Amino acid sequence: QAEVMFVPHCGGTGESWEPADAAAVPLLPPNTSCSIPQVVPQDILYHSFLRRKLSMDKPGPLLDFTKQLSHFFVDHPEDAFGSLGQLLHKNFHLGDSRVKKEVRDNTIRVTALMEEINRLEARRGCPWKRLICCLRWFAHLSRDWLFEVPLGLLGDSVHEELQLQWTRLLFDDRLTGGALAWLPPEDGARVGRLVYPGGEAMNRLYFQEVVLDKLPRARGSPAEFELNGRIQQVATARSDGEDFVGIRSDYHCGVWRVPGRAGAAPAPLQVIHTRVPASCLTVSPHLPGELTVCTQGGSIYLWNVETGLQRLRHDPQTMFFRDHSPWRWSDFTAHPRVLSFADRTGLQCLDARAPERCHFDLFKVGEEARCQQGERVMLPIYLGKAHPSQHLVATQFSVYVVDERLPLVPVLKWLHMMKAPPLFAQLSPGDAGRSHKLLLGASPTQEMLLLQYQGERRGGQSACQLVGHPQKLHSISSCLEHFQTQLPHHHHLLQQRLGAPAAGMAAVLKKDRQQESLLVFQLSEAGDVFYQRLTHEVAQPPAPDSRDEATAAPGSSPLFEDPASSPLLLGSKEEEEEDAGRPAAMEEAELSQERCASPKPSPVASSKATALRYRRWLKGLSEHCRDPPRHSYPPTRGQKRLFTRKELQTLVGDSALHRQAQQKMRQAMLEGGRIQHWDLPDSQTSAVPQPPEPEQDTDTLSTRLTAAWAGDWNRWWEKRSSFYKAQRQRALQERRRRQKRGRRWQGLSASFTSSLTYQSELSELSGTDPPPSPVLPGAGSPPRHSPPPSLELDEGLLSSQSLHSRGIPKERRKTLRDYLGLQAEGPPEPLEFPLSQDSQLCIPSSQSQRSSASQTRRKRPRMGF
Amino acid sequence: SFNEYKLNFKKSKEACLNYIQEAVLQKQWKRAAEFLTSYAEALEKDFSKGSSCPSEIIWRIGTEILCHHPHSSMREFSSFIEQMKTLAVKRYLKVCLEHSFHLLCNGMIDEASQNLSLAVSWRFGEQSILQAKEMKLIQAYEGLLDYYRWSKQKNVLLERGEDEYEDLSVEREMHSYFRKAALNLKEIIQVPGVWDIFVKCYVDLLEFYGDNEEARQVLKEYAYNSKFPSNPNAHVYLYQFLKRHGESKKSLISVLKILHDLVPSHELMIDFNTMLQKSKKRRNRRLGLEVIFAVLDYAGWKENMKAWSCLARQVKQIVSSEKDLDWIKQVWDCRKDWWPAFHFSHYLAKRNWQENESLSYEKALVAGILLGKDCKYFRYVSKQGCKAQVKRFRTLKKFVHKHSPIYLRTSG
Repeated sequence: QAEVMFVPHCGGTGESWEPADAAAVPLLPPNTSCSIPQVVPQDILYHSFLRRKLSMDKPGPLLDFTKQLSHFFVDHPEDAFGSLGQLLHKNFHLGDSRVKKEVRDNTIRVTALMEEINRLEARRGCPWKRLICCLRWFAHLSRDWLFEVPLGLLGDSVHEELQLQWTRLLFDDRLTGGALAWLPPEDGARVGRLVYPGGEAMNRLYFQEVVLDKLPRARGSPAEFELNGRIQQVATARSDGEDFVGIRSDYHCGVWRVPGRAGAAPAPLQVIHTRVPASCLTVSPHLPGELTVCTQGGSIYLWNVETGLQRLRHDPQTMFFRDHSPWRWSDFTAHPRVLSFADRTGLQCLDARAPERCHFDLFKVGEEARCQQGERVMLPIYLGKAHPSQHLVATQFSVYVVDERLPLVPVLKWLHMMKAPPLFAQLSPGDAGRSHKLLLGASPTQEMLLLQYQGERRGGQSACQLVGHPQKLHSISSCLEHFQTQLPHHHHLLQQRLGAPAAGMAAVLKKDRQQESLLVFQLSEAGDVFYQRLTHEVAQPPAPDSRDEATAAPGSSPLFEDPASSPLLLGSKEEEEEDAGRPAAMEEAELSQERCASPKPSPVASSKATALRYRRWLKGLSEHCRDPPRHSYPPTRGQKRLFTRKELQTLVGDSALHRQAQQKMRQAMLEGGRIQHWDLPDSQTSAVPQPPEPEQDTDTLSTRLTAAWAGDWNRWWEKRSSFYKAQRQRALQERRRRQKRGRRWQGLSASFTSSLTYQSELSELSGTDPPPSPVLPGAGSPPRHSPPPSLELDEGLLSSQSLHSRGIPKERRKTLRDYLGLQAEGPPEPLEFPLSQDSQLCIPSSQSQRSSASQTRRKRPRMGF
Repeated sequence: SFNEYKLNFKKSKEACLNYIQEAVLQKQWKRAAEFLTSYAEALEKDFSKGSSCPSEIIWRIGTEILCHHPHSSMREFSSFIEQMKTLAVKRYLKVCLEHSFHLLCNGMIDEASQNLSLAVSWRFGEQSILQAKEMKLIQAYEGLLDYYRWSKQKNVLLERGEDEYEDLSVEREMHSYFRKAALNLKEIIQVPGVWDIFVKCYVDLLEFYGDNEEARQVLKEYAYNSKFPSNPNAHVYLYQFLKRHGESKKSLISVLKILHDLVPSHELMIDFNTMLQKSKKRRNRRLGLEVIFAVLDYAGWKENMKAWSCLARQVKQIVSSEKDLDWIKQVWDCRKDWWPAFHFSHYLAKRNWQENESLSYEKALVAGILLGKDCKYFRYVSKQGCKAQVKRFRTLKKFVHKHSPIYLRTSG
């Protein structure tokens, strides 16, 4: 009799799949039409120091919906106030001139109001600010009738929308299922199809033929369909040798048929419209042209292309306990007439022939499955390709394999430890005796996990078990380091682009003679498709992992010694101040990706072909980036009221020239372009303005910059230093005179020259002369991080108004102020300044800022800080 | 400040965990181990009393790493587990149980058994009461190991044959194993749950000592007690037990009927169908038809030769006798809107013919009777069959054409 054998339920020996590429590789050219940036928390949350005060009363995020409203009023005045504006425009006076006496009774001078508003804006955040009487009076008077849409109604709608956006930022379940699908080729062929959305609003559906060579490549141009909404999900199944592709957008679902043979065109079959957003669409693997649709209201429909829709159930309540989420899902089961129906609390199976009577519970969040507190169903899928009666249920913590024949008690459970809940899952079934490969994907963090499990074999006695080791696949954002070095802002754009949440994934198992490989495609929300390959390595005697050896540092604690990690840890603190509202998981994911990418060596040097792909992809992206989309605003009313017709007429000088200019202007406006240059026939003045003649008394910074621009910076320096020598002597004499008078020397902040004098004194002290021709790193351009501050620092540098006028966003003003304040607070200890050339450039600025900063500090109480 | 320190500490802790996870998911065990040591070291410096020590994390990750680390040994693993046991009294028994599993998977059955018996005697005030569930499981596994020892001894005795059967000490030892195993196993199977392995072992013990009544009781309880989750295996065990003991057809049928209601797609349904077809009662034969139709509803059976031949045989029998045609009509009525697309499409006809000629023969017969002689599947297969000069396809064609009026009656 055979000896008893114990086999672990999880973590037995599995197949070894090694990544063949160092990172994800672009498959298709970038989706260049997508330039709409993702919504980030900063867009919709309050980000002022008021937030802390306000959030004391009400916990949770504070939506900044007034900002959105004001954007709407400014960007679409026609829609916001159109008709009343038209009616009342006689009663509003624009312009600086005084209102005529006869109409003064029924005319409002808007300029005065605007001034008040600007003044108010400058004191934004000041708790002691008082509304100016006339503003308040105007607001009171006009609140009810001025707006095209009643203000309350508009505010409610905007607030509702913002709330929706915020919940989507936290967790967007519309993407569940993923919007990328692979249509496998007929047996033996090497050309399959990739179905994915693209376009500006991800509303174009593409069927792209992909050849599975050593590296997959696109063939020909894709078949394209323009749809009526953003594509959220692409679902496919093959029955009777044809692929059926279901497309879900929020309010429309459509189905396409793709004949199996290569080159056949996909044909749209039917579209349905739903009144509430659809949350799920799955295609039957059993019967051609059959799908199920779930809507957020709690309805489930069986949709047959021939017989139409059949509603199986409508229940706004969740099944097992109360949960607020309207998300519903459904899939097919081993029986073509029995569907599974899921909400966040569990899964039920119901018979389409008698949905009211025949149903049973398949999975319940609760004791039977040993669920954790707060665990919810995220994605159930039918694993029919691996075993006809098994389903996968993924929650935010675990994955379960459940069997229809043994309901409620999962046959397999595994804690996946993903940072975001898995929204995509792909199964690629293994042949007899081989493990099934299961891919799990999360959206915001772009994580992907490869699991292997061995299903129960038909008639066999082996139980379902997880084999091999769960493995992490490359995310799209990890390929950042494989692109060529970029200019910083391009790098940032690229990083943002690659970091877009994942929107779908697909997997293909490819067999080439002896070599088996798994191709994984990924789609990002920006519409870019990437791939990575994993090759199957036939089991070998275990050898020490060379990669492991390489990374095992001799030190005991790599975390605290690794130079790459510690600065980032510090850096993350600063980051948090800026975007406190961002979900922590997202930030961490990015950080960890950044951190972990550096220490480990890439497993395989990326080959030339992939390098070329990176280059091409980047080229495609940057070509597009250089030409930003031109916004055309509709003409707005009111400008002509700034000047009366008479006033305009008097301005006309040279009539012919003027008319020509007018014509040109009009034409440019019609075309929506801009006037490059006037090239008027008899131009006395040249079109390109001459650089202003450097005046003698202009400030030193601009002369220096001009000199640097012209290329003879060295000469400027020499001139300056000789000039200083004279000046210094003069200053010394001056000082002595002052000391004689017994007055305290206070001239630090007086001018650039005096502080430079001070500096040259220092260099005299240390006994080194300033080098005659200092060669600065990047002398031609100012250093990036610390632009040389203007020397004409007036008192108002740090006031809100001036910061505002400099285009510094509100949320950064305080940071800037604090930063400058900090700089100024350090006591001026001359000997501690490093005596390098750089410091000579830095000191004057910090010195002069010091004085102004101290003045700001004096101002603070009044400003309400 | 202290708060800031706490925040930083929390952050670096999380970062460290992230590192560990990265490393584990990329199979860099040494790297993961190093991170784990620094994680544990960092925890030692944690003076904030607010959060409890995440000993579970260390236990889980540590076990995982030690299982795969190239330089780890069983001894190290055990000492790590011992530390974990003392570190986390709250999950002492869980740790013990998983340790035993690990030992078992490495073939160290005696050590595992020793470990389990140590755990059984563990007492720690309230904690031992709170972990009663785990205690039951530990006892059950102890019973399981005793059962394996018992069956080993049994095999030894059986191999020695009659003459040495007198070896009393071996026999006594075997009986003591039996007593211990039976006691522990009986305990666990009274708790609602899925205990397939324990039930099987317990029934084997009882059967060996001739306590069939008790065994039957246990199996019935396991299958029919509504507190237990629905489990098709329970019914299968009962059926196998009854079959072993030569029970009447009637009781076998009643067991299988319940299984049919629970899982219509079960493998035993083919046996059930043949059993019912042989039955003299009309009611049973009718049930047999329903059973085989229900089996073929499922995607897993779609191309099963056995099931299709069962169905073809029964349908042929009914049609030839021209009796009970309403049975066919009744089972067909709820399937006629989807079976043609599911089983009898032109595509499937082509594929079945290429892949499995006999299957296509059986299916064509059923299609011809249920859908008439103009059905795509039947026409394609019979045409191909006649072309290939296979005799049975010609008789099939003749048969279907002869009985074509039946199609009108069943479909009408």
